[in-house]
Amino acid sequence: MGENVHEVLRPHAEVQYADELAALAEHDDRERPPNWRLSPWAVVEYLMGGTLPDGTAIVPKYVGKRRLIEVAVATLATDRALLLLGVPGTAKTWVSEHLAAAISGDSTQLVQGTAGTTEETLRYGWNYARLLAEGPTEAALVPSPIYRAMRTGAIARVEELTRMPSDVQDALVTALSEKSMPIPELDSEVLAARGFNVIATANDRDRGVNDLSAALRRRFNTVVLPLPDSADEEIAIVAQRVNELGAALALPPVPPSADEIRRVVTVFRELRDGQTVDGATSLKVPSGTLSTAEAISVVTNGLSLAAHFGSGELSADDVAAGVVGAVVRDPTHDGVVWREYLESVVAHRDGWGDFYVACRALG
Amino acid sequence: MTAARLQLLGIRHHGPGSARSVIAALDEITPDVVLVESPAETTATFEWVGTDGLVPPVALLGHVIDEPHRAVFAPLAVFSPEWQAIRWANEHGVPVEAIDLPLASTLAVDAAAERLTDALSDDTSGGAPIDPLGALAAAAGEPDAERWWDDVIEHRGDGLPAFEAVAEAMAAVRSGSVTSTGEERREAHMRKRIRAALKAYERVVVVCGAWHVPVLDVTASSATAASADNATLRGLPKVKVAVSWVPWTHQRLATATGYGAGVRSPGWYDHVFRHPGPDGVARFFVDAAQVLRRADLSASPDHLIAATRMADALAALRHRPHAGLDEVLDAADAVMGGRPLVRRELVVGDAIGAVPDDAPQVPLARDLAKRQRSARLKPESGDATIELDLRTPNGLRRSHLLHQLTAIGVPWGTLTDGRGSSGTFRETWELAWRPEWSIRIIEYAGYGTTVEQAATRRLVERSGAASRLVDLAASLDLALLADLPDAIDPIVHELATRAAHDPDVGDLMAALGPLATAQRYGDVRATDREALASVFDGLVVRVLAGLAPACASLDDEAATLMVERLSEAHQALALVEHPARHRAYPEVLEQLAATAGHGLVQGRATRILHDAGRWGSSTVEHRLGRALSGGTPPAVGAAFVEGFLAGSGTVLVHDTDLLAVVDRWLSSLRPQAFEETVPLLRRTFGAFESAERRQLGRLVAGEQREIAAGYGEGLDAERVDAALVTVRHLLGLPAHQPVGREPATGRATS
Repeated sequence: MGENVHEVLRPHAEVQYADELAALAEHDDRERPPNWRLSPWAVVEYLMGGTLPDGTAIVPKYVGKRRLIEVAVATLATDRALLLLGVPGTAKTWVSEHLAAAISGDSTQLVQGTAGTTEETLRYGWNYARLLAEGPTEAALVPSPIYRAMRTGAIARVEELTRMPSDVQDALVTALSEKSMPIPELDSEVLAARGFNVIATANDRDRGVNDLSAALRRRFNTVVLPLPDSADEEIAIVAQRVNELGAALALPPVPPSADEIRRVVTVFRELRDGQTVDGATSLKVPSGTLSTAEAISVVTNGLSLAAHFGSGELSADDVAAGVVGAVVRDPTHDGVVWREYLESVVAHRDGWGDFYVACRALG
Repeated sequence: MTAARLQLLGIRHHGPGSARSVIAALDEITPDVVLVESPAETTATFEWVGTDGLVPPVALLGHVIDEPHRAVFAPLAVFSPEWQAIRWANEHGVPVEAIDLPLASTLAVDAAAERLTDALSDDTSGGAPIDPLGALAAAAGEPDAERWWDDVIEHRGDGLPAFEAVAEAMAAVRSGSVTSTGEERREAHMRKRIRAALKAYERVVVVCGAWHVPVLDVTASSATAASADNATLRGLPKVKVAVSWVPWTHQRLATATGYGAGVRSPGWYDHVFRHPGPDGVARFFVDAAQVLRRADLSASPDHLIAATRMADALAALRHRPHAGLDEVLDAADAVMGGRPLVRRELVVGDAIGAVPDDAPQVPLARDLAKRQRSARLKPESGDATIELDLRTPNGLRRSHLLHQLTAIGVPWGTLTDGRGSSGTFRETWELAWRPEWSIRIIEYAGYGTTVEQAATRRLVERSGAASRLVDLAASLDLALLADLPDAIDPIVHELATRAAHDPDVGDLMAALGPLATAQRYGDVRATDREALASVFDGLVVRVLAGLAPACASLDDEAATLMVERLSEAHQALALVEHPARHRAYPEVLEQLAATAGHGLVQGRATRILHDAGRWGSSTVEHRLGRALSGGTPPAVGAAFVEGFLAGSGTVLVHDTDLLAVVDRWLSSLRPQAFEETVPLLRRTFGAFESAERRQLGRLVAGEQREIAAGYGEGLDAERVDAALVTVRHLLGLPAHQPVGREPATGRATS
């Protein structure tokens, strides 16, 4: 497979930011834990952004408190597994991918947790044709991402850990505490190479999640990723991600209008917090999470509308449909919330006339 | 180090690092005298430092004699360098002296400083930054001044070298600043005392805020001349000041609670001071684990190992020589969680200081101790229940003391039942003394020198700030119960002003009760009876005018409150024999009982009218019948009965007349109507005690109640007097004289 960035819809972090990682590695003269590509200090630098002595700019991957990333990296450096908690859209997966890319140079050892995830997905499965033909042999064994990460001393990622059934989750306990995975069928075991670790993500607000057992929880250090502190911070995140996505999706270049982005973020923040920015009016809160990730998607969506069907500049018309779609998840409850917001806040806000008209036009 | 005669140890107030360096430096220098930056009068109190009874955190309180609200607190913790310096001096038998400007001058000059300020932090004098070391640290890009001190100053070496570094740094910080007048005076005084000490002693050590170091070196050629200092200090006004030790808490040390002491994390400082070694971090996590386990959170030894390693890794990542508070908290939070808990219990901490009895104390605390002794009530932390008999002098003393403390804002006792509107002579108090109340007493020391004075002032102040009339009424009530006659006039005055603007009739009615009590019983020392009566009259007029509309549409909750107010208002009117009791009030009640409204209100109005003899039995029967017949919605009917019987069967058992009314009405019902009524009655009767129901059943079945025979003709006055003595004794009335509080029964009516 030719690793041409432009042929892949979304390249892995280690591919997309290969230059930055290489530059960091070159300048990184601090101590590296065994099997780490970078020192912990450089990993933090990679995520938080900065400028290297030779002028290479490192793009910030995570916009937020440096403290959180420091805690996450220190956790991995002390051989403790890392659990990233947060409401949907707080960049948990994003942070986990970049941590794995920076530490192991490989963010692909990934298990996606679902209600249907089985223990084989975490441990190993069998190639049944070979199993029947040859009996249990090393060759018939199908390794899981965790298995492979243990062999190579890399970071394995588990997405949505709490969506897995609890008994399946507990299959991780041995891997995390003994750093080994027994294979009774072959009467052998895999011993984790140094550098192996697990980053799991979970969201603490969703319904239908299975709580972690105390035994498993104890093996994880927890870092809670919060929603952005201020509107400006959130706008910066949205603007940056929209730019990157636009490039990755090969959208025709449209200058994202800072005004529209501010508008989307403002609407989301106000509805999420249940009050207007000036604190003067209290609002009903809709059922959706209205995270930063959704704001990014609304703006990207609007950009594509603007590029293909619109004037070429992001306008209120282009984002209105996306905003309404994101807010109104439940037609009856959220519909009322949205209409109230539209009439009581949007209609009277200076300079929001075009947005109001665009939203009204949608019905 | 040359044998300089004068050593200036510039410290950070409440800095554990400074405290350690001070001890090290003192051990090295072994001075002949230690001078400490603290108001000059406090020297006398230093002898207690290091004795068993005085447990830090404590504070030095200086206040103007006769004007206790003009006061200054200077908190000291075990990790305060000043504390350690004084302790060192006392331990080594070295004289120690406070050299700052006397409070006598500070408090006299600063008459505007009515509120409590902190003498040790430099913020009172203006000019100097509150935390000069913090400012330096911030300039170096380090938010935690204590860590900056640790990293930058302490690592240069222990003891003296550290202080040389501080002196250099401060000289740089101070070079561009202008000294304010207040600061000028303080520093002049300090220089004067240092010069005096240099004459008397060979080696002199001064422990002072780092900020002052550059200007206190009187041996330097650039020092201000003694004559100039004398000129600065000449003719300062003076007041009489008393200084005492008071217990303090870590929570109060934390800046979060408002005393500009500059300690964000006293618990952590305490820990750092006690465990400076490399195992300090691990020890902190052990403490954290215990806190978390007490809160049923998991914290195993495995967690502790992980957290300790984590803190070290974080420190390395942040280029710190060793883990500080930020690293420790981040690690604890990631590994074990429970950050708010750890912060509250360990980083701030709940340490409470203690002060020995023989040390100088605040007048208010002294008065409280005296009152506690005379009432034979010991402050103990465990729960205790006491029964007070208000007829005995000691019962009354105790009751007054507890009520007065409640008025101050120290709820040592909670009244569980007893007095109040029912007017019995018993009170049941739940007692539990909490150590921080000693501190609250001190906080309120500014309100007066005696418990009574402080309670009066606090109560008047609170009533001035009360937003609702009900709260004012409650304050008035408390003033009566706590025997605070001087509080009554201001509260009544406030009440009169407020009543004119309060549109809520319910609130007005709530104020009637306490006002009536004040008129009837208020041991009128200073209270103006006329004024009280006119306020009361004004309220009555307003209530009468607004009562009927106010009862027009009430929900269940409001109605429950309203019926109690109706009864209270009736009692209040009866208590003072108010003219409205006989005409105006019953007229309004008739209106209430007749018109459509909430059933509870109708029922209670009917009952009061019946009790007052205004409505005869037949009228009541009619009204009862109408409430419980078909046209009235069942819920309204049930509420009526509930309001009418006031939720108690006892009255029915003892009030033959009332029982007869109900009984006659029930018997008059046709069978079908009876069946319809039964479920409604069940709702009320079902709530009665089973014993009451049994008794009622027997009465209705025709069993005779034993009725004491009345008296016949021709009473023998002498024999009656003999009996009266016993009766008075039973009722708790003093023999043949007007009484402070007569045991009114529930209804003070005929």
